Amino acid sequence: MFLLFLTGCNAPSKPASEVNYDLNAPPTSGGTMINAMTGEPSGLISMIAGESASSAISSNIFNHLLKYDKNLELEGDLAESWQISADQKTIRFKLKPNLKWADNHPLTSADVLFTWQAVIDEKTASPYASDFQLVKKAETPDALSFVVTYDQAYAPALDSWAGLQILPKHLLEGQDLHTSAFAQKPIGSNFYQLDKWTHGEHLKLSRNPNSALGQAKIDYLITRIIPDNSAQFLELMADNIDLMGLDPIKFSRIIPARPELQKKLALYKELGNSYTYMGFNLKHKPFDDVRVRHAINYAIDKQEIIDGVYLGLGINIASPYKPGTRWSNPDLVPYPYDPDKARALLKEAGFTDSNGDGILERDGKTFSFEIITNQNKEREKSAVLIQRRLKEVGIDVRIRAIEWASFISRFIKTGDFDVVILGWGLGLDPDQYNIWHSSQQAPGQFNFIGYNNSTVDQLLEQGRLELDANKRQRIYHTFARILLEDSPIIYLSAGYGLTAIHKRVKGIDNPAPPAGIGHNSEEWYIPQSLRRNEITNH
Amino acid sequence: MNAGTLGKFLPNLLATSLSNPLAFAGFIIIIIIFSLSMLAPMIAPYDPNFINVKAILLPPSAAHWMGTDGLGRDVLSRMLYGGRISLLVGLVAVGISTAIGIILGSLAGFYRGWVDTVIMRLVDIMLSIPSFFLILAVIAFLTPSIINIMIVIGLTSWMGVTRLVRAEFLSLSEREFVTASRTLGAKNARLIFTHLLPNSLTPIIVSAVLGVAGAVLLESGLSFLGLGVQAPQASWGNILTDGKEYIQFAWWLSLFPGLAILITVLGYNLLGEGLRDALDPRSQNK
Repeated sequence: MFLLFLTGCNAPSKPASEVNYDLNAPPTSGGTMINAMTGEPSGLISMIAGESASSAISSNIFNHLLKYDKNLELEGDLAESWQISADQKTIRFKLKPNLKWADNHPLTSADVLFTWQAVIDEKTASPYASDFQLVKKAETPDALSFVVTYDQAYAPALDSWAGLQILPKHLLEGQDLHTSAFAQKPIGSNFYQLDKWTHGEHLKLSRNPNSALGQAKIDYLITRIIPDNSAQFLELMADNIDLMGLDPIKFSRIIPARPELQKKLALYKELGNSYTYMGFNLKHKPFDDVRVRHAINYAIDKQEIIDGVYLGLGINIASPYKPGTRWSNPDLVPYPYDPDKARALLKEAGFTDSNGDGILERDGKTFSFEIITNQNKEREKSAVLIQRRLKEVGIDVRIRAIEWASFISRFIKTGDFDVVILGWGLGLDPDQYNIWHSSQQAPGQFNFIGYNNSTVDQLLEQGRLELDANKRQRIYHTFARILLEDSPIIYLSAGYGLTAIHKRVKGIDNPAPPAGIGHNSEEWYIPQSLRRNEITNH
Repeated sequence: MNAGTLGKFLPNLLATSLSNPLAFAGFIIIIIIFSLSMLAPMIAPYDPNFINVKAILLPPSAAHWMGTDGLGRDVLSRMLYGGRISLLVGLVAVGISTAIGIILGSLAGFYRGWVDTVIMRLVDIMLSIPSFFLILAVIAFLTPSIINIMIVIGLTSWMGVTRLVRAEFLSLSEREFVTASRTLGAKNARLIFTHLLPNSLTPIIVSAVLGVAGAVLLESGLSFLGLGVQAPQASWGNILTDGKEYIQFAWWLSLFPGLAILITVLGYNLLGEGLRDALDPRSQNK
């Protein structure tokens, strides 16, 4: 296929710069929206791909049983309703009637059962298996009913079903999901279906006429693979893509300074459910000493990082939850910047500058360590600011930025690091068992810093079993308080998700609701007069 | 020429080559860049690592002649200090590669036979590997640091010098003055160090000067990819990387290091080519 985008030629009498993208037009169907991603998905079965590139595309193709509405309350996706038994161990899902796959085959509870069997199958080796292995029994009493029973009440259960994309049994039964051609040519039930995948170039989705939930407005979604962020930005400025995530400098400096960009791009900011942190390898000395961790926490000026690196587009946090949500403990305050206190704590921990070189020593060894991070500009800059602040209290820091794949395989999985700067992107459920529980320290698991606290272990176990939201809230507030006191990581900033979307795309909620701007993307539309002229040559 | 006249050789070489206008221009460029880098602590207006988050990405002005970078550091100061790194890496890397090249080339050219075969096949093998990717692969397994960069560039770029020295040795050993020395009972070491090597110096120097240009470019390339000099130390390559993201907005972050690399490489190439023209009898006849 050869695609040529002639931009801004809708009204031949007017040059592109004079098109008024601010006009209001009623919702219409049609048009193409183009976005870009840096990495190409390995396949579109997200339960085995386990990567954001894959789920970003496949979520347009597949449905879940449940989904979140704009206020992050659960609502039915394929399910019409669901009931939880009195003992809270059984959930009974009732599917919407007359659901169909894009190939017209009926979608029934057998497909849901098949998907559950696939995700827990050891051969599938899905990173999401653990949530579903807790299901003791799953049944399909009739074509519209799906009933799961847990051994004991499991609080994140409903959320887990809102995260599992339902696959078609009639196309996948008896196949190995890892080798099936289905991953490259999926058939789903959601608003879009895969039209064309040109590897290394783009994926084109077209509207699915059999969609389970009605029709999306935009006809085609094209995702171009552009590995370099600056190249993506050039394409955004040249009007060749409609949507991209931005860094703070592009968001608050570059676009506002350029009227021609402001004219055609709308900027959106939403507080993401993620944060950036500096984590200690607790198995390495001297980071096993809580006084040293506190000292470093006091020595780092978090506000300076937020102002200087994130240009103010970040929040100084004290608990591992999105600020403003019920799980975030409002009584906790971040460690203030207090270098004198840091020096005092380091002295208490036995560090002194015995040779007068400005760097502390203990037992004849200088206090020196390496911060590693992936090649992410904001994280590298944060590291440079931290390096300066720690030098002021007598700690020598080296910085090393490493390409993502080897960062994970050579350093994180092997535990061969002193200190990392990384981020956690979190789900909506407050359960953080796999990040903090002491049992989650095997290579490849998420507690790679080696955090080990029996009280926290107990709280995390209780939190998973507690279905009363108020009791659960107390559990996670206590958990966050202990975490702050222990300081196994230093929270650097909860950052905003920053997005630029071409103004030709209408129907976007602004300001962003709790679920983010993407929650109603099927309602986005492009008025006829603002569409690109597209010459397609199939 | 023998070792005794070597003391006069270098000044003579310089005088001859500087009569060539291109070489002279190259020489002046390099002298200027060297002086600026060496004097960096005295002339840099700011500490190159002084962070000022209130002054990020400022365009060039009277206070910051080359603007500031993403952390509010003064680009001019970073350029001056970065120049030291680039030049140091260039010189040391070429020093290493030239030393290896001279040793292996002399052995191959003097002893010939199986020594020659082994060394030349090694050269062929090394040349068959794309050197930039070889360097990338090696650096990926080492900690990126200035020292490692210098060593790795040096260890992967000695093949040209080896071939050159071998060829000189092969042709020189057939000359009468060498045969005469040998007949008079000169030992191998004396033949190599007083007769063959001093007479091969000209092409070696030309190739080394040109090699520095290549090494400066390689270092910039590696630092650009994040595999070279590590933060917060400045090098022209990593200033350029910082500028990449904001090239339409903060042009000063790309322009100045780009120009510095261009001018330095140009300087070494002009000097190298000029030296060759001045010293090569074939081009002199033209």
